[in-house]
Amino acid sequence: MEFGKLEREIRIDAVPEIVFDVVSRPEHIKMWWSDDASFEPEPGAVGELVWGDRAAVEAITLVTVDPPRTFAFHWVAPGGELPGADNSLLVTFDLEPSGDGTILRVTESGWREKGWEAAVLEEAFHDHERGWDVFLPKLQGYALSVVAR
Amino acid sequence: MTAAVDDELWSAIGDPIRRRLVDLLLAEGVGTPTSLSDRLPISRQAVTKHLAVLDRAGLVHATPMGRERRYEVDEAQLARAVRQLNEVGRTWDARLNRIKRIAEQIQHQKND
Repeated sequence: MEFGKLEREIRIDAVPEIVFDVVSRPEHIKMWWSDDASFEPEPGAVGELVWGDRAAVEAITLVTVDPPRTFAFHWVAPGGELPGADNSLLVTFDLEPSGDGTILRVTESGWREKGWEAAVLEEAFHDHERGWDVFLPKLQGYALSVVAR
Repeated sequence: MTAAVDDELWSAIGDPIRRRLVDLLLAEGVGTPTSLSDRLPISRQAVTKHLAVLDRAGLVHATPMGRERRYEVDEAQLARAVRQLNEVGRTWDARLNRIKRIAEQIQHQKND
């Protein structure tokens, strides 16, 4: 594996037009990545990905919006800066038709330590979330037991 | 695991010459600035500087040998760096699997 650039691919049993919508539209991104997403789907547009009640917010800058082939954006810039070519990670989705489906390839390149930080932040956030998932049912059970007494 | 250490680890391994140095040390077991500079298009002084960065990140260890220092790779720390890199990969694998599920569900609805 090359350091500093991450590459992954997956085969999807859906046509490229559908896969492109899923990777590039805020209403779908909310289902597979952040808790909220907002941006205009055009190159140069700036938007944001939001986790929790704005517990974590990342600005993104769209680079390529070429349906149904390529969707690319910059993200993870140092505090307050807008993500661009020199200060952030570049995520690129490439879609290739394959029979009735699509080969979806994602690459993330830029400063490796940033990518790692981002992954750790996200992981930490979801750990937190899972913590509540475990805690709330327990609390509910406890509350019921108190009422029953 | 502190952020400072990890930043050092990543910038240490982010440089192609330093990765080449780690490769050479892994292949040969040990090396000195002189033996390593013979194999690379950079001076002994430059090799010494890069080795110092790798040393600070804990990726190599030095033992004095005569007038030079003998370096070898800390495999545990290298394994840790690789593990962190894989962590990033797994995060994207999880996202891609969710993308696949959503897209296939939409396709399925269209076909019905």
